[in-house]
Amino acid sequence: MSNAVEQRSDCTWTPKVVAFVCNWCTYTGADLAGTSRLKMDPNVRVIKLPCSSRVNPLFIIKAFERGADGVIVSGCHTGDCHYSTGNYHARRRFAILHDLLQFMGVEEDRVTFAWVSASEGNKWQQVVNETTARVRQLGPFGSMQDQSGGTL
Amino acid sequence: MSALQDTARKLLNDGTVSVVIGYEAGARGVRPAFITAPDQADKLIFDKRCVQNLATYLNPRRKQVAQLGKAAVVVKGCDARAVAGMIREKQIDRNNIVILAMRCGGVLQHPEADAELTAETVSIRCAGCTAREPKLFDHLFGELPPEPPVNAHRIEQIAALERMSPAERWNFWTEELSRCIRCHACREACPMCFCVRCTAEKSQPQWIDPSSTPHANRAWQTMRVLHQAGRCVDCLECERACPEHIPLGLLARYVADAVERRFEYKASDDPSVAAPIGVYRTDDDEEFIR
Amino acid sequence: MTHKFLSHQELSSLVADLLAAKTRVIAPVRAKDDPEQIDYQLIQCFEEATFGVRLPRRSLKEFFLPPTEVLLHYKQTKAGVEIREVPTVAPPQVIFGAMPCDVAGLATVDKVMDWDYSDELWFGRREASTIVSFLCSAMDATCFCTAVGLGPESASGSDVLFTPVDGGYVANLITPRGEALLHNYGSKASDAQLATAQEKQRDARRKVEPNLPAVSAELGGWLASNFDHPTWKTIALRCHGCGACAAVCPTCHCFDIVDEHESADEGVRRRNWDSCQTSLFTLHASGHNPRASQSERFRQRIQHKFSIYPSRFGEILCTGCGRCSRVCPGGMDLPTILGELVNLSQAKPEVSGQ
Repeated sequence: MSNAVEQRSDCTWTPKVVAFVCNWCTYTGADLAGTSRLKMDPNVRVIKLPCSSRVNPLFIIKAFERGADGVIVSGCHTGDCHYSTGNYHARRRFAILHDLLQFMGVEEDRVTFAWVSASEGNKWQQVVNETTARVRQLGPFGSMQDQSGGTL
Repeated sequence: MSALQDTARKLLNDGTVSVVIGYEAGARGVRPAFITAPDQADKLIFDKRCVQNLATYLNPRRKQVAQLGKAAVVVKGCDARAVAGMIREKQIDRNNIVILAMRCGGVLQHPEADAELTAETVSIRCAGCTAREPKLFDHLFGELPPEPPVNAHRIEQIAALERMSPAERWNFWTEELSRCIRCHACREACPMCFCVRCTAEKSQPQWIDPSSTPHANRAWQTMRVLHQAGRCVDCLECERACPEHIPLGLLARYVADAVERRFEYKASDDPSVAAPIGVYRTDDDEEFIR
Repeated sequence: MTHKFLSHQELSSLVADLLAAKTRVIAPVRAKDDPEQIDYQLIQCFEEATFGVRLPRRSLKEFFLPPTEVLLHYKQTKAGVEIREVPTVAPPQVIFGAMPCDVAGLATVDKVMDWDYSDELWFGRREASTIVSFLCSAMDATCFCTAVGLGPESASGSDVLFTPVDGGYVANLITPRGEALLHNYGSKASDAQLATAQEKQRDARRKVEPNLPAVSAELGGWLASNFDHPTWKTIALRCHGCGACAAVCPTCHCFDIVDEHESADEGVRRRNWDSCQTSLFTLHASGHNPRASQSERFRQRIQHKFSIYPSRFGEILCTGCGRCSRVCPGGMDLPTILGELVNLSQAKPEVSGQ
C-alpha cells in the first residue's frame, strides 16, 4: 500500500481514470473514436456494462478506493436507451450521487457524467481528454488510500 | 393521554390488535412500550420526551415483535412517514397495522433531561416540521400545539459545510468518520433499513470493507445514505443510536434537501405517492451531465 | 509505603516529565464535538486533562483492543505466501483519571484473554501501561458498580488509586508498577489525609449503592437453569440489536477476523469489534442461525455476562458503568432488567395444590 502512495507523489504520476460505459451507445462511440484514430489520453480504463443504469454508485466509490483519480460514467442520451428507460433511472441516481460526493469533499471535476451516442466518437474524445486534463490538474486521489493500522 | 389509553384498551379488548406499540415511563424518561394486556393500557404516555421513531419495530425482520400479532403503533407525524414508507415498499400491509397518530409540537434533543421546549432544548429533527398534524392515521389524538421553536444547528452546519472548499469538507468528514467503529447501530435503528441482507454484509465480493478504516467508513456511510435517498424520513434515529456521536443526520438531511431540490419531493406520509428514486420524469434536470 | 500524598503541582510535574520522556499519556479531556462530554484521549500537556467531570463516553477498552487492528500482513509470491507479523511490544503509556469501572473491566477481560491462548496484542499493551484511577465522583442514577461487586473506590486493575483531598490527592500504591511511577513524587500521606480519603470513598459508595441492590451470586445459577423462561420473549422487544451497548462496554470483547486485500496479491488480516447482538453473529455457513431472534440474542448477552463468564472465570462480565443503558436508542436499561431478573430468581415457587 505504501508503495502505491509513494508512486503517486513523485513527478511521474499519471492520472488513472476509470470509465463505466454502456455497451450500446458509449462503448460503440468509444470504438468509433478509436477506429477514427482520434488522439486520446491513454489513462482511461474502460469498463463495459449493458446500460448506464447498471452503474451502482458503489462502483464509483470502489474505483476511488482502489486507486482511481477520476471516474467517467457515460451512457445513451435519454430517449435512446437500448432498454428504453434505464438511463432515466440512472439520471436520478447520478444526480444525487453527484451532489453527495461533493458534500463529502470529492472535487466535482473528478467525476464526469456524460451521454455519448454510438456516433459521437468526437464527443468521447473530448470527454476523455477534458476529464483527464482536469484530474491531472487536481492531482492524485491519494487521500482515499487506507493507512493500515488501528484508528488510534 | 386518556383518549389514547382508552383507544388502546378498546383495540386490545375487542381483539382488533394483539399489541399496542407506544411510549411508557422508563429509566431516563420514556421507553418503547409493548402493551399486550388491556389493563396495561394506562402505561401509555405521550409528551415531548417521546423522541424515538417507533415505526422501526414494524420491520418484519423483528420476529419477536411480529410474533405478538397485529399491532397498533403510536406515531408522531414525522414517524408516520416511515410507516408510509414501509407500506409503500410492501414491508407491511396497510390493513395489518392500526396507526395511532399524535399531534405534536416538538420533542426534546435530550429527553432524559426533561425541560421546557426552547430553541436550545428542542430536537434538531424538529426544524422545518410540516407534520404536526399527521395525515396518515386510523385514530388521531391530542390538541394541535404551537409550532416548535427552531433549533437551527443542523441547518447552519450544512450551510457552513457548503461554504467550505472540497478539501475542507473532505477533512471534516475524515475527522467525523474516524470515530465510526462499523457497529451499524445507525442501520439497525433506522426504520427504512430493513434489508434482510445488507450490501455491507456481502463478502463475495466485499463491496464495502468491514473494518473501521478511513476509506471503508466513508464507503459505508456514503452508501447507506445513498440507499436512503428519497426514502429517509429524517427522523435522526441513526444519529441518536450512534455510540460515537457522529452527526449522521447531517448526511441524511443533506440528501433529503438534494432530493427536494432536484425532484420536488419531501418524505411523504401518503403511501400512494411514489418515492423519487425508482420513478423518473423525462424532463429531469441533466445540467450536470455532459 | 502504600499511601502517598501528591499535590496538584506534583501531579502536573509528573505528567510533564512523562511527556518529556516521550511516554504516551492518556487522560479524560473535553470532547471536541461537545464540550459537555468527556473522552479519554492522548494528551500533549497536563492542562488538556479534565478530571472528575463525568464518565467518559467510551471505555478504556479501545486502548487495549482497538476497534480495528492489523494482525498480520500477507503477500502472495511465486514461492508461496509471505507473512509479516505485527509488533506485540507496545510503547509505554500511563493513563491518568481512569474511572474505576473502566479499569476493573480491563482486569476482568484479562481472564479470557489468557484462557486458551495468551493474546499477545492485548497483553503487550497491558504490560506497557500504568493505570492511575481516580475515585469516581461523577456517578448518576444509571451507575450500578456496587451491585456487581465493585465501587467508585474500586482498585481492581489499577496500579494507583487517587482520591482527591485538599491540595491534591492521596495516592494508594497498589502494584509495584504504581510504586515505580510515583517513586520520585509525592510525600507520605498524613493520617488526616488518609482519613479524609477514606471518608470520601465511603461517601462515593453511598451515592451509588441505592441505585441497585447487589446482584446476588444466585442470579448466575438461576440464569443457567432458566434458559427457556418466558421472560426472555418479552424482555428485549424494544432492543434493536444494534450493538451500541457492546461498543461502549468496558468488558465486551468479541471480535471478528477478516482478510482485506490491499492490492491483487497483498493484504492484511484484521480483527474488528463485533457484537453478539447483531443478527449475523451466529449465522452458520449453512444458513442456520441458532440465535435467530433478538430475544435469543439479548438472552445471550445476559447469560454470558452474569452466568457463563462468572462460572468460567469467577467474575461478572460487567462493571456497572451504565454506558449500555445511557447509549441505548431503544430504551433498554440494564439496572431495570437486572432488578427484574433478580426478582424472578428470588420469587417463591408456587405451592402445588393451591
